[in-house]
Amino acid sequence: MSRKFLENESPGWVTDGLISEAQRQKLLARYPPEAQALGLLPILGSVLVGLSGLSVVAANWQALPAALRLALLLGSLLGSYGAGAYFLRRGNADLGHGLIGLGLLLFGASIILTSQLYQLVGYDASGLLAWVVAGTALSYVYGSRLLVLLTVLIGAAVQTYCVESLGSFSYATAWLVVGGLGYYWWRRPGVVSSHVLAVGLLWQAGLLVIALHAKITWFFVPAMLVYAAGDWQPNRSGGRALQAAPLTAAYIFMFGLATFGETDAYANVLRPPLLPYLAALGAVFALSAAGKRVQGRLASLPDWLLLLPGFYLSGGLPLAVATLVVLYAHAGSVLARAHRDQDSDQLTIGAVLFVAATMVAYFKLTWGFLDKSVFFLLGGVLLLSLSWYLRRRTARLVAANAAAAPSQPLATPAQPGDEPAPTAPTE
Amino acid sequence: MTDLLTWFAAPIRRRPLVRLLVAAQVLYVLGVAGAGYATTELGQHIMLTTTPIDPRDLLYGDFVRLHYGISEVPLHLWHGEEAPRRRQSIFVLLATGPDSLSTAVGVYPQAPKPSVGQAVLRGWVTEVYRNSLSLRYNLERYYVPEGSGLRLEKAGRLHPLQVRVSIAPWGQARITDVDVAK
Repeated sequence: MSRKFLENESPGWVTDGLISEAQRQKLLARYPPEAQALGLLPILGSVLVGLSGLSVVAANWQALPAALRLALLLGSLLGSYGAGAYFLRRGNADLGHGLIGLGLLLFGASIILTSQLYQLVGYDASGLLAWVVAGTALSYVYGSRLLVLLTVLIGAAVQTYCVESLGSFSYATAWLVVGGLGYYWWRRPGVVSSHVLAVGLLWQAGLLVIALHAKITWFFVPAMLVYAAGDWQPNRSGGRALQAAPLTAAYIFMFGLATFGETDAYANVLRPPLLPYLAALGAVFALSAAGKRVQGRLASLPDWLLLLPGFYLSGGLPLAVATLVVLYAHAGSVLARAHRDQDSDQLTIGAVLFVAATMVAYFKLTWGFLDKSVFFLLGGVLLLSLSWYLRRRTARLVAANAAAAPSQPLATPAQPGDEPAPTAPTE
Repeated sequence: MTDLLTWFAAPIRRRPLVRLLVAAQVLYVLGVAGAGYATTELGQHIMLTTTPIDPRDLLYGDFVRLHYGISEVPLHLWHGEEAPRRRQSIFVLLATGPDSLSTAVGVYPQAPKPSVGQAVLRGWVTEVYRNSLSLRYNLERYYVPEGSGLRLEKAGRLHPLQVRVSIAPWGQARITDVDVAK
């Protein structure tokens, strides 16, 4: 609750007899006005001074003697780590971690600028690997979300440089991100860092596929390994957050397959050798299912529907229909789960997925032979009725929630007659 | 030791650990600088010539773009089992001629053993043509000291430049000097 809100609203509470004037004063005293705005000015001032210094140095960089350049780099590196430690001791964690993050960035800049200073050629990741090591170590020592985020970004940048410029995949970098930050995530599964780590890991997986010149569908083996890790994570929200990125990737792929997969030309690039691919994906599936069983989350097993390798079907109608069935089944499973868990956020996601599947089906199946006006009319009616139906369902769920909440929130089962069957219009 | 993270972040250990980490970073940067000196001191020196390129492209801010004679090699110099691929990393065997300039005598996917008067320079395939290979050595940028860039640029338009490269025993290469060919 913000102080401003309290100041504006509390006189009304006193007039309405909710609280007494004395209580109002006590409340106001409990939330003193924040002095942060004032603290911001010196920071802004020092940032400007710093920027001016930086631009002077940058403009004359080439003219400075080598030793001075080296001293400047190391001086600013030491300065930011020192300042970061100072502010952490003073209890200003945000600024402290920010400055330590700046130190980490300066370390990378120092490596790059020093090798440029001596015209050194980089042949592999070994030079920049130290940057990732330093980031991982600092994340452990300070346990800061910002440093984890920076290290994931640094790992992605180093790997991109390796694959794009040096033509090789740095397994050491990948293992540092997987092992070092993966362990961090296992112990501290914060939602934000889980998302960031998942995206970083998918980035590494994508670069590995590019570097190996493999079929892009192989991407889903490491991606789903990330997903399976989420299944084993005891912390439910952290595990779920790690799974969001791989699931999104799988969904986009399946959606693309449903939309553009008709011509066999696309499907052909997607087909890895059948047996090795299915064996690898099957092994990851088994790992994921085992994790779900152990953690009691078997309800999310239908997520795997999105991984059905429909691209082995020959292009054209069979593929289009198969992918549509999968999209519908997946949306239905999300809706069903949301309904069982009475989770309104998941319900919204399920509804969106359902509408998306319907849109694809509609565009694919009717664009060719319907008159344009009938096409749009039908589409509009379809969407309107769908939105009406889903809204009614949500409203009923919210009402059921509200009714169940005061008595026993968990023991109340979902209404028996209310089995989720999204394709059935009425009950 | 149940949790590595709590072990690392324990208040007693944090300060020495941070000092160790920062000291290691400083030493590492100094080590990179040392590698630069060591490459010049201990390395094998070769001389390469550049071919003049589009003068508008030559000077890019703080560095001069260099295009070497060995940036394009005929395909028959390739000594690999499989055909060369783009972005593949390769080793170029260089031999020094009577004019003390080095020319490419072979391109290998694995490091070859150089004999006397030969050197090995690492690089990457940038493009594979029907009869030739386009190569990159990451020596294509020379960061020039203030003011001298313009002189080199003007010279590079008309004459080839001579680039002195040091190759360390561990394979690291660096440009030590760029001058106008005499």
